[in-house]
Amino acid sequence: MNKTLSRSCFLTLWVIVLGLAFGLAVHAQTPAPAAAPAAAAAPAPATPVDSELKDAAGKAPTMMDLQKGDPGGTITGTINDVPAADSKVGVTLPDVANQVGQNKIAANFIWTLVTGFLVMFMQAGFAMVESGLCRAKNANHTYMMNFFVYTCGLFSYWIIGFAIQMGAAAGNSNLGGLNSLASEHSLSLFGKMWGLWGQSGMFLAGHTYDVGVMVIFLFEMVFMDTALTIVTGACAERWKFLAFTVSSIIMGALTYPLYGNWAWGGGWLAQLGTNVGLGKGYCDFAGSGVVHAVGGITALAVCLIIGPRIGKYNRDGSSNPILGHDVSACLIGCFILAFGWFGFNPGSTLGASANGNLRIGTIAVDTMLAGCTGTMMAILYMWVLKGKPDYSMSGNGLLAGLVAITAPSGFVSTFGAAVIGAVAGVLVCLSCTFFENVLKVDDPVGAISVHGTNGLWGVLSVGLFADGTSNYGGSWNGVNGSVTGLFYGDPSQLVAQLVGISTLIGVVFTISMVINLFIEFFIGHRVSAETELAGLDIPEMGQLGYPDFVFQPEPAVLMGQA
Amino acid sequence: MAANKQQGSYLALFWTACTVLCAGLAYFAEGFGKLVLLIGLAGVVISLVGFLKIKPLEGKTANSATILSLKLLGIAVALGGWFVTIAGLHITTSVGGRMIFALAGIGITLVGVLGVLPVAFGKSVAGKAQSTSFVGAKTTMEHSR
Repeated sequence: MNKTLSRSCFLTLWVIVLGLAFGLAVHAQTPAPAAAPAAAAAPAPATPVDSELKDAAGKAPTMMDLQKGDPGGTITGTINDVPAADSKVGVTLPDVANQVGQNKIAANFIWTLVTGFLVMFMQAGFAMVESGLCRAKNANHTYMMNFFVYTCGLFSYWIIGFAIQMGAAAGNSNLGGLNSLASEHSLSLFGKMWGLWGQSGMFLAGHTYDVGVMVIFLFEMVFMDTALTIVTGACAERWKFLAFTVSSIIMGALTYPLYGNWAWGGGWLAQLGTNVGLGKGYCDFAGSGVVHAVGGITALAVCLIIGPRIGKYNRDGSSNPILGHDVSACLIGCFILAFGWFGFNPGSTLGASANGNLRIGTIAVDTMLAGCTGTMMAILYMWVLKGKPDYSMSGNGLLAGLVAITAPSGFVSTFGAAVIGAVAGVLVCLSCTFFENVLKVDDPVGAISVHGTNGLWGVLSVGLFADGTSNYGGSWNGVNGSVTGLFYGDPSQLVAQLVGISTLIGVVFTISMVINLFIEFFIGHRVSAETELAGLDIPEMGQLGYPDFVFQPEPAVLMGQA
Repeated sequence: MAANKQQGSYLALFWTACTVLCAGLAYFAEGFGKLVLLIGLAGVVISLVGFLKIKPLEGKTANSATILSLKLLGIAVALGGWFVTIAGLHITTSVGGRMIFALAGIGITLVGVLGVLPVAFGKSVAGKAQSTSFVGAKTTMEHSR
């Protein structure tokens, strides 16, 4: 009897525990009531919209429906998912409007962040391209420059660079207004105000501790870092790591942000349209000028100061080949860069959901096409005129096409993009030859030609090929209408672009040159001849990039013995 | 000399001082901001002096002889071209006129950047350069064959 009783008690207890557990599980899976039933609504007079909302709530799938699962995705995401400000009243029109607004901003945040992540990944591509085109004895040093430049640039940009560039970037409705970025230092000249640099956002502190500001910071930061890493390629194989670090810190803090402000932060170049009637002001959609030309022109300034590698030029001025050590790294790096460019250009809409932003599809296709025609023309140029489809020029042709389409990608048709890329493919070959053999500027990876020359071509091409069909909210740089180039009827846009080019090669070059002459005086850009001949890996970094490799002795001419 | 602990130390000081300097700028309006700015500035100066002190330890580099006067001339010409472009915006209001000024300014700047400065920085090489057509000139890739 006792045994039976105890068994019964145990069974009862087990059933109770099981019941409680089941009840808890069901409770945990039960969604919170999304909206009070229509019957519980306040007795205020119902408008037609309110009654439609109540009707929609009544027709929304019930909890029982949802518990059965939704394999087709047809009943997930209804009025029940719109949060009501007052659960007793239920979902109202203001609730729906707020949710629509938040959905727009959320889509734009996601778009901008994810494309920013793609651009960040381009650092890996740059590292591979640059190291692949350098000798194995400098591989560690070249990889490390590309790795460390990310830190140098990011930190500089956080403490001051972002404030200089975007400190007055308020008004971007894609990202919620960015209204805390509203302080520009301006100069009054000829009766007009001209923006010079931004003043809010240092350390992202105070009122710039804001969700929208964080998104634009991340996106602009990875662009800035792209510009910085261009210089490391041009100066590879002889740049002292200390000088590189200081140069990168200052470039991320000052040189890049200044031009970035003038073009993108509401500065004087962007005001050329409103102040002196030049088209829609200087237009650089994704940074042929701001990112690539600034990087390429700074690379030229540092290359002039640092001089050619030992053995690059003979006494008669003729040049010697200094071959890269890894074709696969170079070409895979180019592909990584091309992949990242889908963040660079389409991401520069800073949103996917707003008036005109659906043009992201066109921008992505323009980007692909220009890279394609750039590669095609560079390969054909080398094949026809030099006899072989050279790998480094093929890679540079791809990058040149992508660099050139960066500024016009938001404004041109696919035909325009194809032409811009094709011109870039030939231009990069001519420019590499010009810098190497005429100017005697030693650029191991062709960065000056790829980013500098073609960055300028990209800026110019906006003024030629912009077809007047883009409509990002109806205006650009505060001037109503779409950006239209010379071939589509607006020559004044070309003048605005020429002013931008003049500023890049006149002002940005001068600033870069002066800063790096300053570094040359205090630190010295170049490693010792002994270090250079040994390779920078051991003296500068303490370890070989490929410790298990047995290096072949270099030709005497590259050891400065000829 | 290559990379060493002294370089690392002065770089750490430089970086820290730059950060402090920027903090001073950020809070310049407040009383302590000015003090922080001065501390940062002092740190930057000390680090630069340190860099200068260890610079001779680097050893002999392979740089060419440079000409200071030509460097200054090149920079002046480069910047001068930009002034021509900007002046054009205010001298004339016609699109054609402004375009001519802009092109002239770009041309002048290019003379400074591509004409004067390469000679200033690499006289021994650039001075002897033969005039070469683009297509006829040998590239690195062509040499490699």
